[in-house]
Amino acid sequence: MKKFVTLSSILALTSALSTASAATTVDYWLWDSAQLPAYQQCAKDFTKLNPDINIKITQKGWDDYWTGITTGFVAGTAPDVFTNHLSKYPEFAANGQIVDFAPWIKRDSVKTNIYLEGLYSLWGRDGKQYGLPKDWDTVAIIYNKDMLKKAGISEKTLNALKWNPKDGGSFEKVIAQLTLDQNGNNGLSKNFDKTKVKQYGLLNPYDPNPYGQTGWSWLAVSNGFKYNDGLYATKYYYDDPRLAETIQWLTDLSLKKGFLIPYKDIRGLGANSQFVAGKGAMTTDGSWMIKWYIDNAKFDVGFALLPVGPTGKRTSMFNGLADSIWVGSKKKEEAWKWVKYLGSPACENVVGKYGAVFPAVNSGVNLALATHKKNGADVSAFTKTAKAKGSTFLFPITDNASQINSIMTTALENVFLGKTPAAEALKEANQKVNALFK
Amino acid sequence: MNTTEATPETPARGTVNRSARLEALTGLAFILPALIGFVLFYMYPALRGLWISFTDWNMLREPTFVGIENYRQVFQDEKFWNALWITFKYVLLNIPIQTILGILLAVAMDRVVKSTVIRGLMILPYLLSNVLVALVFLWLLDPSLGIVNAGLQALGLPKQDFFASTDQALPTVAFVNIWRHAGFTALLFYAGLQSIPRSVYEAAKIDGASEGQMFWRITLPLLRPVTVFVVVTSIIGSFQIFDTVAVATNGGPADATKVLVYYIYENAFAFFKMGYATAMSMILFAIILIFTVLQLKFFRADQSDLA
Amino acid sequence: MTVQTQPTQARKNRKSMAWEHFLAWFGILLVILLSIFPIWIVLKTALSSSTTLFESGGQLLPSEPTLDNFKRVLGMVTAEEALKAGGSGQSVNFLKSIWNSVIFTGLIVIGQTFFSALAAYAFARLKFPFRDQIFTLFLTAMMIPGIVLFIPNFITIKNLGWLNTMQGLVAPYILMTPFAVFFLRQFFLSIPRETEEAAVLDGASPFMIFWKVVLPMSQGPLATLGILTTIGMWNEFFWPYLIGKDESVYTLPVALQQFQTQTPQGSPDWTGLMSGAFLSIIPVFILLLIMGKRVIESLAFSGGK
Repeated sequence: MKKFVTLSSILALTSALSTASAATTVDYWLWDSAQLPAYQQCAKDFTKLNPDINIKITQKGWDDYWTGITTGFVAGTAPDVFTNHLSKYPEFAANGQIVDFAPWIKRDSVKTNIYLEGLYSLWGRDGKQYGLPKDWDTVAIIYNKDMLKKAGISEKTLNALKWNPKDGGSFEKVIAQLTLDQNGNNGLSKNFDKTKVKQYGLLNPYDPNPYGQTGWSWLAVSNGFKYNDGLYATKYYYDDPRLAETIQWLTDLSLKKGFLIPYKDIRGLGANSQFVAGKGAMTTDGSWMIKWYIDNAKFDVGFALLPVGPTGKRTSMFNGLADSIWVGSKKKEEAWKWVKYLGSPACENVVGKYGAVFPAVNSGVNLALATHKKNGADVSAFTKTAKAKGSTFLFPITDNASQINSIMTTALENVFLGKTPAAEALKEANQKVNALFK
Repeated sequence: MNTTEATPETPARGTVNRSARLEALTGLAFILPALIGFVLFYMYPALRGLWISFTDWNMLREPTFVGIENYRQVFQDEKFWNALWITFKYVLLNIPIQTILGILLAVAMDRVVKSTVIRGLMILPYLLSNVLVALVFLWLLDPSLGIVNAGLQALGLPKQDFFASTDQALPTVAFVNIWRHAGFTALLFYAGLQSIPRSVYEAAKIDGASEGQMFWRITLPLLRPVTVFVVVTSIIGSFQIFDTVAVATNGGPADATKVLVYYIYENAFAFFKMGYATAMSMILFAIILIFTVLQLKFFRADQSDLA
Repeated sequence: MTVQTQPTQARKNRKSMAWEHFLAWFGILLVILLSIFPIWIVLKTALSSSTTLFESGGQLLPSEPTLDNFKRVLGMVTAEEALKAGGSGQSVNFLKSIWNSVIFTGLIVIGQTFFSALAAYAFARLKFPFRDQIFTLFLTAMMIPGIVLFIPNFITIKNLGWLNTMQGLVAPYILMTPFAVFFLRQFFLSIPRETEEAAVLDGASPFMIFWKVVLPMSQGPLATLGILTTIGMWNEFFWPYLIGKDESVYTLPVALQQFQTQTPQGSPDWTGLMSGAFLSIIPVFILLLIMGKRVIESLAFSGGK
């Protein structure tokens, strides 16, 4: 044992940890590497303003991020401040792991009306506030400009599509027209061979989960579906026939008609990989992926508005991230200073300039648009949707999120794989989901 | 588990007490470092786990004692039984092929291949981590972008969905793990082969025995202690399959690969039901224990045919 | 153990032996192909640019080979370029994390092998109270699902004040693993007793016998265990990830985590990940070849085989 002790002291010397400084260091975690440079810049600016506070940023990818956070809670080693997610924070809040900002907001009279509408309320419950918004996202169509040109479809047409679950509307027509088999016939032709598709009209990400953020939510909600009655509702409406017919339309479009890439083909590497590999003309994705598409596609990528549904509305989920403070932090005041700075126009404008995500403050949004324009991408499809009245719906936040996730994933996968009809699967899943609240 | 020696020593009468005591002290001194590691990093957490399994604990608040409630719920949990069934299927798919392949590879390394480089290449897959292997195969076997399906189609064969099909996902996971571990098991067997005296083979050769005959009559029987070790440890590992499933299939599609440890992790880190997850872990532990005891009984694990 | 055969039988056997050798080589070639192929795909991906990677998934060769990804992993490009290539724009401190991995793996392999061998020898040869019960307990430790262990162990390390330190990283592995003890015990059991008994008559202490007689005779199994432990620890991700929150103690798998999926619904940075993975198996493979040679040589010397 003595040997071991000397050994460890030698080791301690070799892995010399220099944490000797008079300033306080605030630990900050985030998961998205694309956003890291922007926040590193914010941290620099912040330390200039507050020389006695250093920000130590740690970035860990999504898959391992939450295990790290949770174990940190258990062991008392969680970061002071961390980027939080809507599907995770209710659980943390309910168990008293994250700080309620409400008293501080009052004390420091923080302006909470500077954010895009709805973002701030996503992070509140019963008068408590668990995060200050820092960014937002919406969904749009991402398309391959070359393929559209070849099919002779103008961007104007693409931005004015209509959809309904009965015959798919002009949206389905365009998808069919953009689908090609190996003989060069498109989906509108009589000779189209659906067993030999070379190019799909639409690479749907499917999203077999309770939200369907990029896969089906924009169709279902434009068809009149709603998840529940608002924040922290205790009852879901997944058995709504308007959702079932939407899901069934998607499934039939892929398995019966062959215009949509089958779910099994995107399960492994994702619809985004298929898109940049040139397997299809369009996909739908969230605004946080803009940069990824531009960097990874060999061809010119365009961004277009989602179709208008039977309700006469074009809809997209409106979602955003915020920063939370861990209850066990020993530096709450410094952490709060940092969180306030992260949610302030000063930092949000920096984030906007970097263009990785859309900041939660309006001035930053315009900077982001300008940055993308400079790089030759028109991403206004995302911002137009965000700003149109009544166009967006919020991410459904309730308790039991992860168990609902498990139930809905199984149910929707069974539908998308063609094993169960949508109406049947969703009815059963909805009963299970609502039983969680009893 | 009977682990006594086949031939206990009987030292001379007069020295019995002193030398026996000395030997006992020596033995304890020998196991002390390992024992410290064991108590600190295995026994204590396991006992704590046993306690946690009788509580309702979401990791974020203090545990509350609920008695056998978790266990009662596990026995009524359809998903648990389903996950256990899938795990059994996986073990059955994985172990026989992996073990046989391991023995064959080891014998080939021992009797045929003389080059270290080629031996090294044979266990190359084990050098990649579990997670990476799963990611590589996700690419290789992708229905639409993967090279394996490109090859199948070039040969005019139908496209296979592998990880994305409810029927093929589990065998695919098993195949991927066999690919990675065959070399690992081969190494263990190879080490075992080295302890078989060459003279035995030479004698058989003089008698004109073929390689095949030598394998069945000499190699296999003499390899028994190692075979026991390999089979026992592989089954223990196989019951705890997790990484490949977590990376390549997420327990799907439609729960087709939701093996027990995956379900346990889901309960712990997604549902925050750590008490329940730990109770399931304890049941899994009991199942593996029963299996191992039966195997050791079956193999008469402790006697080597050499000594 | 003799096989009764006639002379004619021997000739037949010679024919079948050639046939067996041919079959064996055929099998070995197949295995090698199967082993190398996925590793080749790792390299192919590492040599692709992120814009050509996806469309060339079905091809054997990278469509526009580039060394950029290796440069990226080794931190030889600017943050801007790394970002463009789908990276995080952070430089991986590759050499530092390799060094950490070497220390981490090296300490564990030496410590674990030695302490486990000591214990295994005691379990195989020495008599002491509760010997078999303790060994059985050791065995059962293999069967505890890891999820039960890692949170308490994490807290133990925290209470020792060893978070973010190398001793915290190696602590759970350096004294034993049940696998190592079990493995070595099985081998020590199969060592003929006569060799040791001679040493006992010479009045050697148990430790001397262990050190001078048993260990040299077991070089093959020890080296095998060493190789397996090396590979296992070299690839160990989760524990170092939990304990080493600070970049100064990142091991290689932890450093490579930044190439994994970064966002929900995102993709890994495939080209960076595969370059890192390819680079990380090279040192282990070289070690394997060196150790492999040593194992063979040591076997030629020991036990007169």
